[in-house]
Order: sequence, then C-alpha cells, then structure tokens
Amino acid sequence: MGLCLLCPWIAPYDPYEIGASDAFLGPSKANWMGTDDLGRDLLSRILYGGRITILVAIAATIIALVIGTAWGLAAGVRRGWLDEVLMRTADATMAIPQILFGLVCISAVGASVISLPIVVGVLLAPTTARMARSAVVTELSSQYVVAAQASGFTRTRLIWSEVMPNIAPQLLVQLSINAAAAVMLEATLSFIGLGIQPPNASWGTLMLQGYAKIWNTYWFVTFPALAVTITILAFNAYGERIRKNLDSRKSTVNE
Amino acid sequence: MSKVIDVRNLTLTVPTSKGRAPVIENLSFAIEQGEKLGLVGESGSGKSLTAYSLMRLIKEPVRIESGELFINGVDVMKLSESEFRKYRGSEIAMIYQDPMSALNPIMKIGDQIVESILLHKKISRKEALKLAVGLLESVGIPEPEERVNSYPFEMSGGMLQRVVIAIALSGEPKVLIADEATTALDVTTQERVLTLLNRLAEERNLSVLLITHDLGVAAQFSDRINVMYGGRLVEQGRTKEVFTAPQHPYTRALLDSRCDYTVDVNKPIKSIAGQPPRPDNRPTGCVFAPRCEHAIGACSDTVPELRNVIGREVACIRIDELKSVSS
Repeated sequence: MGLCLLCPWIAPYDPYEIGASDAFLGPSKANWMGTDDLGRDLLSRILYGGRITILVAIAATIIALVIGTAWGLAAGVRRGWLDEVLMRTADATMAIPQILFGLVCISAVGASVISLPIVVGVLLAPTTARMARSAVVTELSSQYVVAAQASGFTRTRLIWSEVMPNIAPQLLVQLSINAAAAVMLEATLSFIGLGIQPPNASWGTLMLQGYAKIWNTYWFVTFPALAVTITILAFNAYGERIRKNLDSRKSTVNE
Repeated sequence: MSKVIDVRNLTLTVPTSKGRAPVIENLSFAIEQGEKLGLVGESGSGKSLTAYSLMRLIKEPVRIESGELFINGVDVMKLSESEFRKYRGSEIAMIYQDPMSALNPIMKIGDQIVESILLHKKISRKEALKLAVGLLESVGIPEPEERVNSYPFEMSGGMLQRVVIAIALSGEPKVLIADEATTALDVTTQERVLTLLNRLAEERNLSVLLITHDLGVAAQFSDRINVMYGGRLVEQGRTKEVFTAPQHPYTRALLDSRCDYTVDVNKPIKSIAGQPPRPDNRPTGCVFAPRCEHAIGACSDTVPELRNVIGREVACIRIDELKSVSS
C-alpha cells in the first residue's frame, strides 16, 4: 500500500504513455506485469490505480466513520423515538443490497473521484452507526458514566470525556473493516463501469479492461485482482490485530 | 440540628403486566446535618433506588411517581434537570459498591479528580491538580503526587474506593451517599474505609447515608438506622436501641438470622421463610405480613403507618401487643 503512494517515483513507466506496438505483452523483465491493451505498463498502472483506490477507500471510510458515529451517538444517547427512527432507517438502508444502492446513487450524481467516496461512505455508514450505538448504550449504562453524572457532569461533557474515549478502540476496529469494505465496493463499482473513468484507472477499472481479454491476456485481469485481494486481507488483518490487542487490554483492566 | 435531606412520601413505580406497580411506597425520612444514617434491608427492598432517587438519577423503566425531596429546605423535585445538576456533587455526592467500575478505566485518576473539581470550581487545571493531590492525601493514599498519574487498573480495590471517595468530596458536598460502599471489599479494607468515612464525616460535618445489607457495618457506623422492607420503612430509631431491642417483627427476624463466629455451627441458621414481595404481586396491607410469624387477619387489611413507640418509629399494627411479647 505504501508503494502506491510513492508511485510517481518508483513506477517504471509513465502510466499514460501509449506504446501501440507493445500492446498485450505478457510479463517480462521490462514490464514485470505485462502491458495492457494500449501498451501501457501494467505495474505502473496498478501502482497509480492503487493510489486512487486507496484514497477513495480512506476518504469513504472517514465519511462513514463521521456519519456513522454521529448517527449512532444520537440514537444511543437520546434513545426513545429518535433511536427507533434512526435505527430503523439504518436497518432499511442495510436491507437494500449495497451494490444496487451504490449503482442508483452513482447513476444519479455521476461518477467521479468526488462522488465515489461519498457514495461508498454513505453506504458503509449504517453498519458503523449500529456498532457505535450499541457501544454507546453499553458505555452509558456503565457505573462510571452514572458516577460521572452523579458528580454533576453535563451530557455533552459526559459524551466527550467518558463515552467517546472508551468507544474509540471499537471504532478503530470498525474503521479497518470499513476500509476493506470500501476497497471492495470501489473495485466493484469501477468494475461495472460506474467508478473511476478512463484514462484514470483504479483497480476496478483495470479489472474491467482486463476482464474482456481474460482468455488471451490472463495477466491483465489477474494482477489488479491480486492487488485488491491483498489490500483487503491487509486491512482485515490489521483490524484483527487491533481487536486482539483490545481484548488483552480489556482483560488486564478487569483483573 | 437542621435537616439537610428531607424525603416526603416518595413513591417509585415499575411497569408490570398489571400496570405500574410501586417498588417504593410513601417513603419518608430525613437526615440531619452531620448525622450518619444507616439504611438496611435485604436485596430488592429499595435501598439503592432510594439512593438514586436522592440524586435524581432514576432511569426508565423505574419512575418517580410522587413525593418531595427537600435539600436544605429546597424542594428539588420541582427543579429542572439543568438546575438540579448544580446539586449533584456539590450538595450530595455518592460512592459505589464496585470502585473498579465506578472509575473511567482509561483515564488517570488524577485527571478524573481534576475533571470533577473543575465542574464545581472556577480555577485553573494546575490549581485543581494541587487540590486533587490534597484530596488523595486526606483520604489516606500514600504518595499522592505520584498516584495521580496511575490508571485505575494499577490500584487495589481499597485504594480505588478511596479515590472514589476523593472524587465524591471534590465538590465539597454536605451529604455523602455510600451505596454498599464497603460490600465489595474484604473485611480489613472494609474496616479502614469505614474508619475513613467516619473521620471525614466528623472533619467536614458531613451527613452520611450508609446503605448496606450488612447489619454489622450499619451497627458499627451509623447513629440512626432505617430498616426497609418491600419499599417501605418498617422501623427507624437510634442504632443502639434498634439493635438491642428491635420492635418490628421484620427487624427482629433480620437480627435473628444474623450469623457470626458466636453462632453454634451445628444449629441451622434462622432464616425468614419466603421471598420478598415482587412488584407485580404486592400483598395488600402490611408488605411483610405473608412472611411474618405474628401476622393476623387484620394485617392484610390496612397498611400500617409508622407510629412512635418508645422513642422510635415502627410500622406494625400489632406493635403494642408484640412489645410485651418481646420484653
């Protein structure tokens, strides 16, 4: 992933440079991952594409986190009818397949580097909201929150100094799960042609271009797909690590 | 002496399948300035609910149905939530059964005390930290300058309870509610915490409401005892008198079912047959009647009022006859 951010310096070729004569070359010493339909170096394109994919994923994750946390916090703190309305809205949103929902949204607002993270972020917000709400409710019923309330804390203060710091680790786990999901969603949307538009390329776009020629040029679709897989695995492994550290910390606290 | 806390006709209800039923019924009592009042009763008798009512921290599904709560003569039940917040911590403060869970696990204890001080005083963080160190010292924590940087999980239960007490004192309250504050501690630590509370009460002319199911703790600590059963007060009086000559049949049964090292281990420990009433199935008349060995038909007809009997209040319609039985 770090490689993708450094790509302008390490990429062996200009990703937009077209070499018509070199189209559809297999992996070789000069082009480690081969070239694409327009003779562009695939490794360079994957590195550049990764930059877009990961930027979209990070932006989407942050959007999901902000919306989701605010959503869940509002529901968990206010409870009552507001809780019902917010959570049922979340349920309803989650009931619609994400791809379908994303498709409709992208078609409505048009595909761009700006709209994509927003749509993906909004798609991931309900799950984050559910998680945040349950964490907030658990936190609010804990003895030390009641104790803080008993010593005269206002509700705002209660949330900022007692609730938020204690749910932060859980949000962090959710953050990495969301990042993986965002990479996936972005790739999927780009793959069906609703994501990043050529000549820019994300991994999804590359896969779309490669997919059409899968029988002749296996490398064209394989390498971008591998990149997506590795990234998602990395995010998930990271989330798992945080969760494990969290567990061990919880157990020392409870001793 | 003036009454710092005066509760009148407090009734709390919970929803049941048959509509809202009382869990605390017409509870009235007062705490004098500087007085140590013990509130005893078995689980589910409404002790903790009483404490949370005093802080106005009752949450759904439990509801305060009626009643007045005077703090220094002001009926605070009529105040709005934001007006009442000024009372929390600065008039009444509370300490809890489990000090471990009463503290924010990821915040240094010094910061937690400072936060609490800053709620009540307009001073700088630095000055507040100085006060925090002073508070820790006054609750008997060694090396308070270093301890402010500790996290809750680095300290023992007894030490943490002292920290909780320090936080409770940070707003300089006039009343301290100790809700089973010594229950989770082992006996020697319990003893030390009680001694500390005693000293603080005297130094600061603090009123303490000690809620416990441990009769020994209540006997040792409090000036006066309130005995609760089924959400009602059944007997109240001076500690010594209540313990040496209990009047209400429930108090008597409670004291009879005590056990300590003087009790013959070969004899079964006396117990009170039956269970405390469930809110959806409260007996009419006296709540204790179904379990009372002295109950007569009339006990189920009328709710006994607290009556003054030999210098204390007892809620039992047969008290005049039973008084002679006991003596």
